[in-house]
Amino acid sequence: MQDQVVGSSPVKVDAKDKATGATKYPGDLRVPGMLYGKLLYSPSAHAKIIGIGLADAWQVPGVRAVLTANDVPGHNGHGVIIPHQPVMARDLVRSVNDVLVAVAAETMAAAEEALRKVKIELVELPAVFDATAAMAEGAPLVHPEGNILSHHKIRRGDMAEGWARAAAVVENTYRTQMVDHAFLQTEAALAEIDDGGILVLHVATQYPHWDRKELSRALGMPEDMIRVVGGSVGGAFGGREDMSLQVQAALLAMHTGRPVKIVCTREESFHAHSKRHAMVMHYRTGATGEGRLTAVEATIIGDTGAYASWGTNVLRKAAVHATGPYIVPNVKVDAYAVYTNNPFAGAMRGFGAAQPAVAYEGQMDEVARVLGLHPFAVRWQNAMTEGCITATGQVLESGVGLRATMEKAGSLVGWDVSKING
Amino acid sequence: MERERICFTLNNSPVEIHCHPGERLVDVLREQLDLTGTKEGCGQGECGACTVLLDGRAVNSCLVLIGQVAERSVLTIEGLAAGGKLDPLQTAFVTEGAVQCGYCTPGMIISAKALLMEKQNPTEAEIKEAIAGNLCRCTGYIKIIKAVQTAASARLEG
Repeated sequence: MQDQVVGSSPVKVDAKDKATGATKYPGDLRVPGMLYGKLLYSPSAHAKIIGIGLADAWQVPGVRAVLTANDVPGHNGHGVIIPHQPVMARDLVRSVNDVLVAVAAETMAAAEEALRKVKIELVELPAVFDATAAMAEGAPLVHPEGNILSHHKIRRGDMAEGWARAAAVVENTYRTQMVDHAFLQTEAALAEIDDGGILVLHVATQYPHWDRKELSRALGMPEDMIRVVGGSVGGAFGGREDMSLQVQAALLAMHTGRPVKIVCTREESFHAHSKRHAMVMHYRTGATGEGRLTAVEATIIGDTGAYASWGTNVLRKAAVHATGPYIVPNVKVDAYAVYTNNPFAGAMRGFGAAQPAVAYEGQMDEVARVLGLHPFAVRWQNAMTEGCITATGQVLESGVGLRATMEKAGSLVGWDVSKING
Repeated sequence: MERERICFTLNNSPVEIHCHPGERLVDVLREQLDLTGTKEGCGQGECGACTVLLDGRAVNSCLVLIGQVAERSVLTIEGLAAGGKLDPLQTAFVTEGAVQCGYCTPGMIISAKALLMEKQNPTEAEIKEAIAGNLCRCTGYIKIIKAVQTAASARLEG
């Protein structure tokens, strides 16, 4: 054991195996008797399912299982907050994330051929692809209880006083887009039943323990009959927090009595996991003539797609970070997570804190421009220091390095920081 | 699909396989020869995870058909550590912390290998160009470039 830990640069324990190609990711596993699984995703973002014809798929030589929602023994749903994302859709598809059919076959080619032979009959329903439109009266409903998943409010100080003290008020709308994690290793899982009847699932996941709970609920099987092995993970960035193909792989193994491996193609991977929330952020920011912030009012609408995933928590975090690292005495924030028929949005690096930065930093630049001040000076005077209180009432007791960081960053871009700040 | 006998050199040893010449090299390596160090990330030649050397040149094995490698020489990540001794690139990737999730690592090392076979002491711009077809989604490019530089200088000094 090294005496000094901090400041040392130890070699990562798994680096050598990864540099020689020895590391096995789930997609690299192969066991005797293994079948190849494949999932059919909905071609429509919102449709009623009239029928799913499986007879021709069963006729493909080498096919060992063709499963639908009718083959899910437990609760046909998963989700980290609300377990309402179907393992396989039964009557209705709400997004192109929805799985309709799972097949297992002796070869990948047979599995692909079987999926081509599935006859899907859908009736398209009116769909909504814009979160703001989805909040309006009369918008197509993604879920019967309404399209607003969550509404978080932050209220601090007195907004009327804040606007009264402002020498300048800037108002703008900022939009960020949906982003895919595009982790380099696509989803892969190998499911098998061991000699003791235990379901063993090898999967690249961020939450083996939570996967087990989801599997237990969907399979109607006690957790102590399920073992989730989280091996090497080829990138995740939040995109492996929800179920992707865990339950379907398990079902195929249980139905065939054979090990089943599913590996997503890149295209399937885009269907299989969450996205970063696209957000529309309407900001109104007031400042004194010297550039001190007096008020921030923000409405943040996050497109959470067809399923909740972490949407509530992501938009809560967006609300908490809405004023950035700046002192604002009067704050009114409303953050909404809104269902649409887009691919579902969930966790991704920053978890809702990244998008508002585009808006509050844009506002700082605008305040500086309107008041004829240097953008650095505006940020400097509003920068949080030790003892400051955030919009949510948190007292920042220690370790507030913003000004020290700003000084260094400012110098690095060639600004005379002390001169700018007067 | 009709199978054919295809002979080529794989990691410095002759191999003979029986498969349809239209199969992708990446599939034959991974499925038939169990060389899973070569990864597939996109299947379209965009990400570089499946990079191997074909007659000393870096190629995307998802875009090469097995029929095309007949009588030629393929080197995968497994063939780089000859006799268990790591290639200087592999050592440098480990010591420089250039490995995060590791999924891009084999392809990245193979692309760098092709560069170092051609140029003893490449510039940073040449290194960047050599790995331009290899995506690292953990965004560890700075350390990857440093690792290639370290491997090049280790070779020059050694």
